[in-house]
Formats: sequence, C-alpha cells, structure tokens
Amino acid sequence: MKKMKALCLILALTMLVFTVSSCTSTAPASAGSADTPPAETPVSAAPPESEPEEQVTGTFICGIWPADTDYVALQQHLVYEAIFNAEHSNIEFVRFYYKYATDNFLPMVQAGTVPTIFESWFTEPAKLIESGGARDITDILNERGWAEAINPSIKELLSKDGKIYGIPRDAYALGLGLNLELFEQAGLMNADGTPQYPKTWEELAAAAKKIKDETGAAGLCLLAKDNAGGWHWSNIAWAFGANLVTDNGDGTFTSNLDSAEAVAAMEYTKSLKWEYDVLTADPLSEDWGTGFTQLGTGAAAMYIMANDATEQPTANNGLAVDKFALVPVPAGPGGQYSLSGGTPYFFGANASDAEVNAALDYLILMGKAPVLNDLSIAGMKAGNATKVSMGAPVIQRFPCWTLQELIDKENEITAEFSNVNEALYADYFKAVTTEGNLRLEESGQTQNMYAELTKVLQEVLTNSDADVAALMKTADENYQSMLDNPTA
Amino acid sequence: MTAGARGGNLQKKNRIQKNISAWAIMLPTLVLFAFFIWEPILESIRLSTYRGIGVDFSRLRFVGLDNYRLMFIDPNFKAALSNTFIYILWSLIIGFFVPLIMAALISETAHLKSAIRVAIYFPNIMPGLATAIIWTFLFRPGPTGVLNIILGWLGLAPFNWLSARGWTIPLIITTMTWKSAGSTALIYMAGIAGINPELYEAATIDGAKPMRRFWHITLPGLLSLGKTMLILQIISVFQVLYEPMMMTNGGPNNKSISMMMLVYQYAFRDFNYAMGTTISVFICLILAVLTIIYFALTRKVSNE
Repeated sequence: MKKMKALCLILALTMLVFTVSSCTSTAPASAGSADTPPAETPVSAAPPESEPEEQVTGTFICGIWPADTDYVALQQHLVYEAIFNAEHSNIEFVRFYYKYATDNFLPMVQAGTVPTIFESWFTEPAKLIESGGARDITDILNERGWAEAINPSIKELLSKDGKIYGIPRDAYALGLGLNLELFEQAGLMNADGTPQYPKTWEELAAAAKKIKDETGAAGLCLLAKDNAGGWHWSNIAWAFGANLVTDNGDGTFTSNLDSAEAVAAMEYTKSLKWEYDVLTADPLSEDWGTGFTQLGTGAAAMYIMANDATEQPTANNGLAVDKFALVPVPAGPGGQYSLSGGTPYFFGANASDAEVNAALDYLILMGKAPVLNDLSIAGMKAGNATKVSMGAPVIQRFPCWTLQELIDKENEITAEFSNVNEALYADYFKAVTTEGNLRLEESGQTQNMYAELTKVLQEVLTNSDADVAALMKTADENYQSMLDNPTA
Repeated sequence: MTAGARGGNLQKKNRIQKNISAWAIMLPTLVLFAFFIWEPILESIRLSTYRGIGVDFSRLRFVGLDNYRLMFIDPNFKAALSNTFIYILWSLIIGFFVPLIMAALISETAHLKSAIRVAIYFPNIMPGLATAIIWTFLFRPGPTGVLNIILGWLGLAPFNWLSARGWTIPLIITTMTWKSAGSTALIYMAGIAGINPELYEAATIDGAKPMRRFWHITLPGLLSLGKTMLILQIISVFQVLYEPMMMTNGGPNNKSISMMMLVYQYAFRDFNYAMGTTISVFICLILAVLTIIYFALTRKVSNE
C-alpha cells in the first residue's frame, strides 16, 4: 500500500514538473530583443568598416524577409543579407518571414516577439501606437535627417503627438485596372493601341455592358465581401459629390452616409447589377485578392486597383504585361478623385536604437530609403529587374520621400527597366498628379464606416427591390451611433 | 483527551493521508485548469470593465459596466444575437436528426458496418477551416462552382448559393452537419448498442419491421441520451465562428454574422479586446444557463 502511495506521489510530482516546465518560456535568444542591451553608439547611415572581432550589440529580426515561395524576392534578399552581414558584424541578422495581420499582431506584442521591422497598412498606425506594438523612431530619423524627407501628409499619418512611429515603403492611388484582351474583343481599342476607357461612371456602365455583350465576361469586378467593398465604394461616392464624414474639429465626427450624393452613388451601384448586369457572378464573394484574379484571368474587364499592385493581375494571375493598363478612376458629377494610401514600415517596441538603425541600413540596401548611394541604386535596379523577370509592369512609384535627387534617380532607373507602353499609364499618372485629385481615406472610425457601406452594398446587390435611401439612412444612423459611442 | 476524541483525530488524519494521493494526482490538472480556464475567465471579466486598445491594463482605463451598455447599442449586436439563435434553430432542424437517423440505419446494417462507421466519421477528422474552404468551392457562384456545374448539367442556371435570401444559414448548418454528424452518430450507435438486444429479437420474431423497431425500441431507448446531445449541440452551435467567417464573412448584410464573429472582429480586427471580452462574458452567461440545464438533464439521466 505504501509502495502504491509512493508511486502515486512520484507520478503526481512528475506530472507537475511537466506542467510547470511546459509553461516555462523556451523562446530562442534570437527571437526576442527585450533582453538585448542597447547599443552604446547607434549605427550610422554610412555603415562602418567591418570589424570581425567586434562584439554583437543587437539582433536585427528582419520581419520583411520574403516567403520561401517568393523565389525572386528571396534571391534579392539573400544578396541584401550578405552585404548587410559584411558591413554589420556587430549585429546578428535573423530572417523572419512575417506578414502583418490584425489577428496575430497583438499576441506577438504581448509575447515580445514583434520583429525589428515589419510592414503594415496606412489604416493601422493609431492601433499599432496605442497598443504599444510600435516604437517611437523620431530621434533616430532626425539624426539621419530622414524625418524631413518624408512626404508631409504621409508623415502625419504615421505620427502621434509629434512623434514619428513609421516610415513609408510605397504610396498608392486608386485607378482602374483594365484587361486589354477583353477591350480588344469588345472593339474598345484605339488605333494607337490605347483603350477607349470610360472617363465617367456613366461611360463605365456603357463600356461594361458592351464588354459583357461582346465577350460574356463581366465588365466590372466590384467588391462586396468585406470592408474592401466599402473602401473602393467610397471612391465612387466622392465622384458623385459625397462627403461621407465631417470632422468637426473637436474630436467628434458627423456621418453623412445618407446624403443625396451618397444615395445617388449607391443607386448607380445598384443599377450596375440590376439594370446593366455587368458585374461578376456574385460580388459578395469578391475581395481584394479575387478581384485581381478576375481581372488577370479575363473574367472581368475592369477593376478598381492601385499602382502598387500591378504585379497582381499580371505576374500573379497570368495577364501579359502589354495587355494590362491602368487608367484614372472615372469621374462623376462631383469630380474625379483617387483614394490614396500606402504601405508603411514600423519597428518593434522592443527594438533598441542599434537594431532600428540596422533595419534602416537594410532599407538603404533595398533602395527604399531617402539615401542615394551605390547600394541604394543597386537595390532599385534589382527591384525593377525582378519585376521584369516576373512579368510585372515596371512603372514609376509614388514619391514617399521628398528628396528630389532620389525621385529623379528612381524615375531614371524606372525608365531604364521599363517594360510597358507608357501610354497605357499616362492618363493615370496625369490624373493623380493633378492638384486636388488625391484624397486620403475618410476620417473617423474608417473601418466601421466601410463595414456599414459594405452591408448596404450586399443588400442592394442581392435584392432588386432594396430601398437604397432607407438602407443608407440606417447605415448613417448606425455609423453615427458608433462615432458617438467610441468603444476604444 | 477522551478516547472518542483521540479516535476522531486519528480518523481525520487517516482520511487526509488517504486523500493526499488523490489530491496529488489531481493537482497538475487543477493547475492547468486554473491557468488555462479559470484565470482567463476571471481576467476576461476584469478586462470587460476597461476600455482601450490592447490588453495592457496600464494603457486601458476603467469604465465599469459601460462596455455592456455599448454592447447592447452596437448596430451589429442585435443581428448577431438573433442570427445565433437562428443557427441553433436550423441546427436542430438539420443537424439534430441526421446523426440519429444515420446511427439507426447503420445499426440495422448487417454488412460493412465498420467500413461505414469509418466513412461517416471521416469528415470529422478534417480541419474545420479546410472543410469551410472546400464547401465554399462547392457553393462558388457563377458557372465554375461545383454545384452550379451540376445545375448546368440539369439545364438550370447558376445559383448564388451563399448570398441567396434565406439560404445562407441553412447552407452553413449543412456544412457543419456534414462535418460533425458522423461523430454524433457514433455516440448514438453506442447508445443503441446499450439497448437490450432481446427487445429487438422479440420484436423481429413478432414481425416488427425496421421502422417499427426504430420507433418503439430505439427512439425510447435513446431519449435520455438525445436530451444530453441536444443541449451539447446548442452550446456548440452557439459558438459558431469560422464557418460563416470563411464562407460569407457574416453577409449578406449581416444575415449570417454570429456572436463569436462579433467577438473576433472587436478583438482581432480592431485590437479592442475589452469589447471582445465584454461580448465573450455575455456569451459565457448564456452558455452557463444552458450548461445548468444540461447538468439538470444529465443528473436526471444518471438517476434514471
């Protein structure tokens, strides 16, 4: 009996040990940087000569490392890594593939495993800053002279209380992506090889109808599965003269979702389904990614998209580079606008100054920093060469940095590697550089506004008898209720 | 000290000695329960009284029960709550009887019983998200959807399955039933195996057909088990999340949004864990009531 009791106790103790040991952190030393001592001297923009004997003062967890399946980008980063390691013997380089997602970021913040640098979206800065997931890099940027080089409107987006938390990778402006194969089949091409693209939303409905009749493919891919539906639709609403939200300037906002202009824009959207019947089979199953598939594979002729995603319909979905064009978002009775945003880089809250500096040095190698030297030029060329080899259009980027010599050099390199007929993009770039054309996303609780608009889109696209004015009124009341009762 | 008192102390000491190994064996489980279940529940209740982004209390502010007020005026809350009960209703209509009928039919089968058992359990071993993705492909709109291809063979036009009015929740429940009915059927089969076989033999000798045997022997024999399964199913369906999230994203126009989707949106889209836990606590309260009913029923079953 005593032996039995002893056995029970041993068993119980063993289980307890396993329990406790399984709760003990086993994170590898390189996975987190909370315990990394800060560097005594920050790494300068111009990297020092390598000193093999130098003590390691930080760990650069490179959260912008590409996925194993992204072969071309991977080859590029292997080169960047080799150069980086040769010039930063005091920094340990850790490859860390991370794609920012709202559902995994905060757990990483809590666990202290946010990489030194990572990409996010322009809708995220407030959340990242308030959650403590992104660190203040103002001093480092000022030391490098980069803070003044950021496009002011973008800098404002990435700042809070005068402190800068991120830097831009790319900016974008929405346009209309065209599948020229379908335009050709529908007889909507000019003799010079440019498309007879719609300049207004009314023309778009007519062109889409012609394409549907001639080819059987959808004229337009409209999104209505998730918030991207509301995001794209807000650009349509602006063209109809709608101002969806008013910032009262005192921290409060007024929803205008039921304005006559917004209702007119939604009525027009409804007509695309029930009057013209030019949309894909079920817009409620379309999201940002499927839109590119529809455009690239010839299931839809037009899709609202931005200049920073031109590889999606082409390289990723098989549309030949010369069969793709990007034109301005059609105009409406309220004018012609392009929604503008971009992809920013942020830095983990636990990263030391040395580690952030290492990350910024890495961006120089990638040609994504306001630094013009041999390394950054080589990086820009490598990026464009990758696009050419992948079959993606090489077109000019939106300047995120105000350094003119950098912009000039970038344009020069883009021209050198150009693989497109520039006439297919000329009107787009003309439109988005026109004064007053670019509009940032609406202020307030933008994602909640998109969600409300998407609900209305879903209703009007599935119910031919939907009362648009009543639905927009409900959406307006719902959104105003959210604005008046902030939950965070 | 009297002999009686000495005896009492000795008895108490013996009882402690006797129970110590039991407590020692239970301890790791209790520690795990405390760490993974009780502490998170208490922490969630505490978090539901704060407001802000993230879960770091030093960055949040105490607001008492105000989050619960905000929960009730959330424009999506009413739709999510009513949809959740519609999910339950459809799960009872579609999902409750299917495994029962499957179990009865398999029990009556003479050949390949084991193979059929494995076959019906097979969908259950598939990851839930994979199941949802596969069914999304089946329901895909336009002429390239699998079901629409079949409709095409029959000369019918393609159908927008998941966004058609009134079809969304029943179709989602169908996919959930496809996945889980097999395992529930196995439980019912175990219940049927526990019914005295002499009853079936006697009924067969008396000339009772399978339907009659099912109605008068199997069904009464499974009644108690059925009550328990009913409550468990309601609790399970109340927490429906990834099927509507993957297949419809809650649409069209909130027609398939569930309570757990609302929690997910607050916590994992907006980083608003405080509101997420507020709704979670509310769900927990409803499930607690259902669990009490479940315990009352199971106690009755064990007494029987």
